[in-house]
Amino acid sequence: MIAKIANYIKQEIANEPLDNLGEQEDLLGSGIIDSMGMIRLISYLEQEFQVTIPAEDMVVENFMTLAHILEFLSKKKGEQ
Amino acid sequence: MIYNLAQIIQYAAERAPKKQAFRCIDEFIAYGDLEKKSNQLAQYFIRAGVKKGDRIGIYMNRCLETTVAVYGILKAGAAYIPLDPFIPISRILFMVEDCEMEHLVTTPAQNRKIKNIATEAPSIKSVVGTSEDVGATSISWDSIFALSLENYKPVWILEQDLAFILYTSGSTGTPKGVMHTHQSGLALARLAADLYNFGPDDRVGNFAPLHFDPSTFGYFSAPLSLSTTIIIPDAHLKFPASLSALVEKEKITIWYSVPLMLIQTLLKGNIENHDFSSLRWVLFIGEVFITKHLRALMEKWPQATFSNLYGPVEVIACTYYHLNMPPKTDDPIPIGKVWGNTECKIINSCGIEVQRGEIGELVVRTATMMKGYWKNRELTEKSLYKEKIAEGYEHVFYKTGDLAQENEAGDYLFHGRNDRQVKVRGYRLELDEIELTFLKHEEVKEVAVVVVERDTGVKELIAVVRPMDGSKIDAASMMTFCKPYLPAYAIPETIKFREDFPRTGSGKISRTEITKMLLAKEI
Repeated sequence: MIAKIANYIKQEIANEPLDNLGEQEDLLGSGIIDSMGMIRLISYLEQEFQVTIPAEDMVVENFMTLAHILEFLSKKKGEQ
Repeated sequence: MIYNLAQIIQYAAERAPKKQAFRCIDEFIAYGDLEKKSNQLAQYFIRAGVKKGDRIGIYMNRCLETTVAVYGILKAGAAYIPLDPFIPISRILFMVEDCEMEHLVTTPAQNRKIKNIATEAPSIKSVVGTSEDVGATSISWDSIFALSLENYKPVWILEQDLAFILYTSGSTGTPKGVMHTHQSGLALARLAADLYNFGPDDRVGNFAPLHFDPSTFGYFSAPLSLSTTIIIPDAHLKFPASLSALVEKEKITIWYSVPLMLIQTLLKGNIENHDFSSLRWVLFIGEVFITKHLRALMEKWPQATFSNLYGPVEVIACTYYHLNMPPKTDDPIPIGKVWGNTECKIINSCGIEVQRGEIGELVVRTATMMKGYWKNRELTEKSLYKEKIAEGYEHVFYKTGDLAQENEAGDYLFHGRNDRQVKVRGYRLELDEIELTFLKHEEVKEVAVVVVERDTGVKELIAVVRPMDGSKIDAASMMTFCKPYLPAYAIPETIKFREDFPRTGSGKISRTEITKMLLAKEI
């Protein structure tokens, strides 16, 4: 799952070519993903992992790093 | 007496050393601490041989260390050049080379990219803010903050010395550097602090990144008034609900951003569930605030006064229009009247001042005027409008390239650009530059890049490509092709393909007609 998301970010969204992407790496502050990229990432996550991400879940704490995204997705999956 | 930007922190540190100067998330730096740390950074640069007028790059996302970087570089007598970490490295390398930078200041968050920059730019001798091996001398923040100030001799800085250079899109396809001095920066800081009555109780929300000129309010006006500046982190700007929570938590009193941030807060910021009662001023600049959204937001925040600022980076800001009540109609709001130490005129294409009520180009004479374009005297001269008063004495105005009109109330109304420079989502774009990039692709025959504004008020950047015969290029491959040349915000969201274009009488591509067809969904 994490490799899949990392790949999508590397191939489709990243502003610069990335060799590797750490689980704890800051996706939002360091310039890896911009605002447009974030919108694309969220719709990708919704489609790929069959979840709906409502407005109240669109907060920094859920998307800061790959680890945060993973935790958020598993919580969402549990709820459904 | 304060006559240079570096003295702002020196005086603040003497008057209120313990007061929080800047905050970012849960960290803060007090004025006394900022004075000491920026002196330490200056000490490092002085010892490294930095001289008056040298240019030093700041390659940082929004974070607390930007404050030490800005003031440390200024105190060393150098000018700071903000480099946006969100744009392609090829553009950064252009600026590094154009400014002949020998030093960069960064944070560990940028390790990955700073390595590429330092390796590719042979002029870079040292990088401050990382302990990684970057191919040049690197020195960590901890090492800087351990430097002794025993033999520190402050650099003697004049108000006419260069303070910062901000790069902006150029019509030739390469960015141009707008030079500001301590004098123009400090004039801006004073005018803004005076107009909006900044004080020690204010908590100023700094939304703009360092490379975008509105950041001068947060980095200079606020410390001049002993206010506290809240640096809004990059992450929060991508999530309106998180931004609302931050503004509430930090009890921000002065908000200053592009309209887009305010519209996102209104539409997606979960605004009902947050307390914005601390806001006394809501300032915006950079593009037209769609009146219906402005009204809706003003109705939510009745205690705040809204103010529309206007000014290209060459003068930073020059006019303002206050709104105490929500606008009654959907007419665009004026850009208003000139602020202090500033004069505007509207001229026609022959350089003659128009009659009141006529539309013409707005020209500005002000204390916040740039020094000129970096290493481009010709372009500087072209941008000026000179009114001869007597032999050897003239009034020098900056030609904004913006069309304006004075209404009966004496307020200026904005009528768009008189060339092909546009603003989309707060970013200044040169449509010609984007077209030139497309034309680099060998399978592109012709291209038209236009901005389409649909009823929703959202501006969309669209490229229409006429491909070479037999070509198989598609939108995705075109976007990938553009990535190394253009910042993400300058790459059109929509790319369409056509066999031919509508033309004007002289055979030129009719961009007006293309825009109409796009609006009518005929393309």
